[in-house]
Amino acid sequence: MPTHAGTPLIEASGLTRVYHRPRTSLTRPGEAVHALRGVSLTVRKGERYGIVGESGSGKSTLLRLLCALDRPTAGSIRFDGREIAGLPERRLRFLRQSLQIVFQDPMSSLDPRMRVRDLVAEPLVALGEPVGDRVTELLDAVGLPASAAGRYPHQFSGGQRQRIAIARALAPRPEVLVADEPVSALDVSVRGQILNLLADLVDELGLTLVFVSHDLSVVRHVCETVAVMNDGEIVETGAVDDVWAEPRHAYTRTLLRAVPTLEGFR
Amino acid sequence: MLSVEGLTIAADGVELVHDVSFAIAPGERVGLIGESGSGKSLTALSLMGLLPEGVTASGTARLRDRDLVGVPESRMKDLRGSELAMVFQEPMTALNPLMRVSTQVAEVMTLHGVPRDKARARAAELLGPVRLPRPEQVARAYPHQLSGGQRQRVMLAIALANGPGLLICDEPTTALDVTVQKQMLDLIAEVAPALLFITHDLAVVASVCERVLVMYGGRVVESGPIREVFTRPRHRYTEGLLAASRLTPRGTRLPTIAGSVPAAGTFPGGCEFRNRCPHADTTCEQPPALTGEGHAHACWHPADRG
Repeated sequence: MPTHAGTPLIEASGLTRVYHRPRTSLTRPGEAVHALRGVSLTVRKGERYGIVGESGSGKSTLLRLLCALDRPTAGSIRFDGREIAGLPERRLRFLRQSLQIVFQDPMSSLDPRMRVRDLVAEPLVALGEPVGDRVTELLDAVGLPASAAGRYPHQFSGGQRQRIAIARALAPRPEVLVADEPVSALDVSVRGQILNLLADLVDELGLTLVFVSHDLSVVRHVCETVAVMNDGEIVETGAVDDVWAEPRHAYTRTLLRAVPTLEGFR
Repeated sequence: MLSVEGLTIAADGVELVHDVSFAIAPGERVGLIGESGSGKSLTALSLMGLLPEGVTASGTARLRDRDLVGVPESRMKDLRGSELAMVFQEPMTALNPLMRVSTQVAEVMTLHGVPRDKARARAAELLGPVRLPRPEQVARAYPHQLSGGQRQRVMLAIALANGPGLLICDEPTTALDVTVQKQMLDLIAEVAPALLFITHDLAVVASVCERVLVMYGGRVVESGPIREVFTRPRHRYTEGLLAASRLTPRGTRLPTIAGSVPAAGTFPGGCEFRNRCPHADTTCEQPPALTGEGHAHACWHPADRG
C-alpha cells in the first residue's frame, strides 16, 4: 500500500475563509464569521485522507475550497503543482476532470428528472468527451445491472442511489475522489456495502480519496491519515491509528469519548 | 406501565406492522431498533394516536389502565402530552418558529387544564432540569435563536411538562453532533419515567436502554436484555446488523447483509428476512413465531445454539 510515499497532490496552506452575516444596522457592516482560520494540509497521491469534525467546524467550507466551489479569503491551494485558488471556472477544466465529488444525500445530488444513463454520462458530456460504452462499464463497476441505465433515481434505494452517484463521479476517470459524508444517510446494513465498494474502487483505480465525516470510527475504517477540525482549525492530524489510540488534543479526546460504541458487547 | 398486544397496522389492505407485542415496566428503558421501513416509527405513532390518514391500527395497547389503540381522537388528545409524550427527530419542525420557548412549554400545560399563570411560572422551572444554560434567557428566545441540541432539550422539557408515565423518543439525536448527542442521551436516560427509544443506531441504543426489540419487515424478530441480544444474537438479521455496525480498522472488509430493505408490501412471505438471509431454506417459507422467555427470537435457523 502506498502510504505517505506518494508525491503531494493537494497542498493547501494558510487557508482562511471569512463570511459576512447580512448587515443588521445601516451604519455597521454585517458580523464576520471566520469559517476557516489558516488551515494547511497536504494530501499525497494514493493517500486516503479523512477529515473529521462536527457541524460548524469548517469541514464543509474546507471541502468547498479544495473542490474550487468557493474562493478562499486568503491562502493558497495547489493541485498537482498548479494554483487553483481564485481561478475562474473556465480555467478549472483540468480540476473538474481530475477531481470528482460524491455528496451525502444521493436523493438531492441526482436530478430526479434525468435517467441514470444521462446522470452518469453528464460529466463526460460536460467535458466534451465521448460517452461510448462507459455508462455500462461504470454501472458494472459499482455493482448495478446495465438495465439500471434506463431508470430514474427514485426507482432505486438509498444505497443504490449512492452507487449511481459514485459511478457518475468516476466517469471522467478522476485521480481524486472527494466523498462528503457518503454513508451518513444510509442504513447500517447498506453502509458496509458502500464502504467496501469505495475501498475496492480506490484500490483498483489507484485513486486518492478525501473522505469527510463526522464519525471518527468510519474514517478509521476507510482512511490512513486524518485531520480533526474544530472551530475553523485543524487541531490534530496524523495517522488514523495513532490519533485513535493516543489522541493528543483535548477536542479529539472529547470527540472519541462521545462516539457511542458496541465495544462493551463482544 | 405499557403493554402492547397483537398490534397490527395496515394501509390500503397492506399490513405494515404485524402482530407486535411487548411491555414496558415503570422506569424501564426499552429500545426499538430497525432500519428504515421496519415499522418502528409506525409502531410509535400508533401508540400516540398519530397515524396518518388511511393508516389504521388494531390490537390492544394499554398505558396504566387506558387504551391507546382504537380510541377516538377526542380521548387520545387528553392522553397525548399528559399520560404519554414524544420527542421527534427534527426539533426545528417540531417547534413553532413564531412562538417563544416559554409559551410553547406553557401551552402543553394549559391544554391539559393547568391555569395560564401557573403554567407560565412552571415553564421556566422546567428548562433547568433539561440542563439548558441560562434557562430564563432561553425561555424568552425563539426556536431559531437556539442550537439543535438546545431545541431538542426544549422538546424534552415540553414532553415532560405534565409528568407523563411514558416517554417515546424517535431518533432524538440523529440530527445532532456526536458530542451533543452524548449529553442528550445521558439526559434522556436520567429523566425518562419509562422510555421507548426508537433508533437505527445500535451503539446509541446500547448506551441508553436496558432492553431491546429488533424490528424487521414490520415484525419484532428478536427481543431481550441488551447485553444478551448484543453479545449472543439469535436472529440472523440481528446477527448481520451487529456485524455491519462494528467498524473494523482499515484494510479489512466489512461484513454486510446482502441486498437492501424491500419496499413496504414487497417483503417475502414467511420469514420476512429470508430473501436476504444466507441461512434461508424452504422451512423459512413458514412464518417463525417469536419464542423464548426473556431473550426471544423468531428464526428457524437461529445463531449461537451452544
